[in-house]
Amino acid sequence: MGKRLRGETLAAFTMVAPAALWLFVFVAVPLIYVLGLSFCGQDEFGNAVFEFTTKNYANLLNADYLQIYLRSVLIAGATTALCVAVGYPFAYIIARTSSRHKSVFYMLVIIPFWTNSLVRVYGWKTFFSGTGWLSSVLMGLGLIDAPIDLLYTTPMTVFGMVYCLFPYMVLPLYSAIEKLDGSLIEASADLGARRSETFLRVILPLTSSGIFSGSIMVFIPCLGYFFVSDILGGGNADMIGNLIERQFQSANNWPLGAALSIMLILITIVLVRAYQRMGGDMDALGV
Amino acid sequence: MKAYEQSGEHTPMGAYLSRRSFLRTASLATTGGILGGLVGCGGSSSGGSAASDAGELNLFIWTEYVPESVLQSFQDETGITVNVSYYSTNEDLYAKLRSETEGTYDIVQPSDYMVAKLIAQDMLEPLDTGGLENFSNIGSSYLGMSYDPDNAYSVPYMVAMAGLAYNSSMVDKPIEGYADLFDPAYENSILVLDDARCVIGITNLVLGHDASTTDPDELAAAADKLMTMKKNVKIFDSDNAKASLISGDCAIAYNWNAELVLASREVPDIEYVYPSEGAIINEDNWCIAKGAANYDNAMKFIDYILRPEVSAACSEELPYVNPNMAALDILGSEYTDNEALNPTPDQMASCVYIDNLSVDAQASYEEIWTSFKK
Amino acid sequence: MTLSKRGRTVRNAIYCVLVYLFLFLPIAVVVAGSFNATESRPYLTWKGFSLMWYQRLFDGSQAALMEAFGHTMLIALTSTLLSTVIGTLVAVGMYRYRFRGKALIDALLYVPVVIPEIVMGISLLVLFAQAQVPRGMLTLVIAHTTFCIPFVVFNVRARLAGYDVSVEEASLDLGANRVQTFWNITVPVLAPGIGAGALLAFTLSIDDVIISYFVNGKTSVFPLKVMESIKMGVPPSVNALSAILLLFTVIFVVLTQSDLLSRHRSE
Repeated sequence: MGKRLRGETLAAFTMVAPAALWLFVFVAVPLIYVLGLSFCGQDEFGNAVFEFTTKNYANLLNADYLQIYLRSVLIAGATTALCVAVGYPFAYIIARTSSRHKSVFYMLVIIPFWTNSLVRVYGWKTFFSGTGWLSSVLMGLGLIDAPIDLLYTTPMTVFGMVYCLFPYMVLPLYSAIEKLDGSLIEASADLGARRSETFLRVILPLTSSGIFSGSIMVFIPCLGYFFVSDILGGGNADMIGNLIERQFQSANNWPLGAALSIMLILITIVLVRAYQRMGGDMDALGV
Repeated sequence: MKAYEQSGEHTPMGAYLSRRSFLRTASLATTGGILGGLVGCGGSSSGGSAASDAGELNLFIWTEYVPESVLQSFQDETGITVNVSYYSTNEDLYAKLRSETEGTYDIVQPSDYMVAKLIAQDMLEPLDTGGLENFSNIGSSYLGMSYDPDNAYSVPYMVAMAGLAYNSSMVDKPIEGYADLFDPAYENSILVLDDARCVIGITNLVLGHDASTTDPDELAAAADKLMTMKKNVKIFDSDNAKASLISGDCAIAYNWNAELVLASREVPDIEYVYPSEGAIINEDNWCIAKGAANYDNAMKFIDYILRPEVSAACSEELPYVNPNMAALDILGSEYTDNEALNPTPDQMASCVYIDNLSVDAQASYEEIWTSFKK
Repeated sequence: MTLSKRGRTVRNAIYCVLVYLFLFLPIAVVVAGSFNATESRPYLTWKGFSLMWYQRLFDGSQAALMEAFGHTMLIALTSTLLSTVIGTLVAVGMYRYRFRGKALIDALLYVPVVIPEIVMGISLLVLFAQAQVPRGMLTLVIAHTTFCIPFVVFNVRARLAGYDVSVEEASLDLGANRVQTFWNITVPVLAPGIGAGALLAFTLSIDDVIISYFVNGKTSVFPLKVMESIKMGVPPSVNALSAILLLFTVIFVVLTQSDLLSRHRSE
């Protein structure tokens, strides 16, 4: 028995150690570095040098940055709300259809994933540009006289975000709605509930887990997707992601970029905590 | 809450089903991916076969500044494999060069003030211009500049002039200078460089200050002035202004001259303008990065680009101001008489260079920029 | 407003078609662009129908693009393999054993899933810059493996729910060693979860833009090549390559359709 116990210890070590080591070196250590970097200053050439300072955090309170955070949160919020609004009825229809082609409907949501997201966003840009498809078709039909101007606006950025993140909302919604027990809906109707009542009191509470995990999977990435606002927003409505990216590139102020990242991590932690409070399953975010 | 818990009981099956169908679909893509991978590898190995003999060369250069055809013909002639990475501003170049390990890049292409900064930081290899057969093609007025008085580190490539262009069918009166960019009449119709130094620089010029001023009051004035342009700016773009000009997505563009010239060639209504305040110019240079792994190939490349016919080919495809006198002879009067491509001596004298700044001053510019782009 | 059952069906169908249109319209634009005979940047003007850009993918003229694509595939396959092995082992290990630090490992597993990719990207950049590791294939594989591991773990874990460890005990009692037991007993049971995790990892890897952007050094990968070309005007060869990939996906969806439907019914 002693041999097997020792074997157990060895087996446990072999199975857990590689991942533990990997995650420590490539997840924990880098984040500790970022935390340290956020307290660094800069030398005469702008390179980060260690000298304990909180000035990067003080800089975060700059009114311009506050406005950028606010905009980012609004854009991410609008994106999430639109994803729920458009995605819920859609997921409901495809998850509860009795059609034989149900799996086809599901797969049609996944197929766009295999075309690179940047390529697809560029597709939209081509579609909406002044000489693009939309204007050409509408002008050809005589519906408009001059090309319509939709690109390079904040709503366009939101549109692009919704497009990129939509499947991340639909898939958890689909799982949640699909496992909904149909007999509960019937029971509710039998007991005399109106359709809206059934929806609000039965369907919605039973599928809220899907809304929660979908919202986490849309809202948080949205804060960091800098390329969407660059391509469709024309670069004139910066979000937190753009701000961080710039600190590590052209502005070359890594300590400030690190402080901004730490703030983003804090926002994430708050949101994830809230998600857990509402009974969200962490593993559902990765499946 | 009870109902919610109940839904939890159903989790395994429902989740399983969705995973199952996900798995199905995903497996397809894998197979496709592997096939694609094989194709990809086939492509790269055929390209790489010549490389083993002549070695390689890693360029880190401006987007759309050196024609691909020229890189290809260098590759064909020498057998050297050329790998290219791109950047869009001098600051991007600096940040990336700084963070990568030495020897990552062989050749970089900084503008004047950035050359000075890189020299000061010991980030460049000395470059013996005596070893370049075609160095004498460069006009003397482009040599011995203050940022590198003996050309010990840099060889001029092209001069990019940040000029203006407008679509005459979309604006009422001709654009004359940078001041027009601030005119409220042009709301949401302007494209500007996505470059803090260039945009704040012209704001300083419009206010009658030095383009690279570090005076706090003048900078505060610039910050205020710049905000009056905010409503006008529709697009920030340092790489492909011509696309937006051609498609009519912007009526006015403040951008590098070649972009503007190329757009005006496509659409006759687009007019190039030399700004009355004097154009900001970037004199871009070939430099060899510190610790370059392929120094000799880098010298070969620079000498190749200096050849009159090669330099002329660059200008034909991407028409910037060319300091290569022998190339200008080939390009002929059509090129040299065009002030968008070859500024008059008066214009040349009124051109404005950007200065290297201290970290603090740089930070002030960055703050103004963030405020502008927010 | 009350609709008849038939009316609702029609309304639902229209709604779904609109959503699918939203999902596929830009892809249609991309595919159409691949047939454009245009030669000059920004490749936006329609110059007639042609297959020349498809031809060019294979004649060596698009070597840089194909090389980037090859890198992407290589990185995806390597990091999928690595993350699948590491992730499966730890998922089983954490299910089977109690040990100190388990909660910490769990927490570290959630980090790559929930933090914005840009934070992950810059944190790895900072690490590699600090450790003087030259950015390139190695750092890309490390980064991709890192963000793929949790997805493998979660999928394997979902499959583990209700898994009876006593089967393994029986195998050991019957004289099989631990490796044999793991390979012959554990892995087959978990295969669907491992497969799903691996394929999800592969998908995430080929599509990743943001993390690669910070750790690629001068190594070009397909998504970054696309990003670069968006700045300068996307050549139709990028569209053509995307269209070919899409075609592969669709063909295999169709081929496996009957199989999937039968499985669906049996469940």
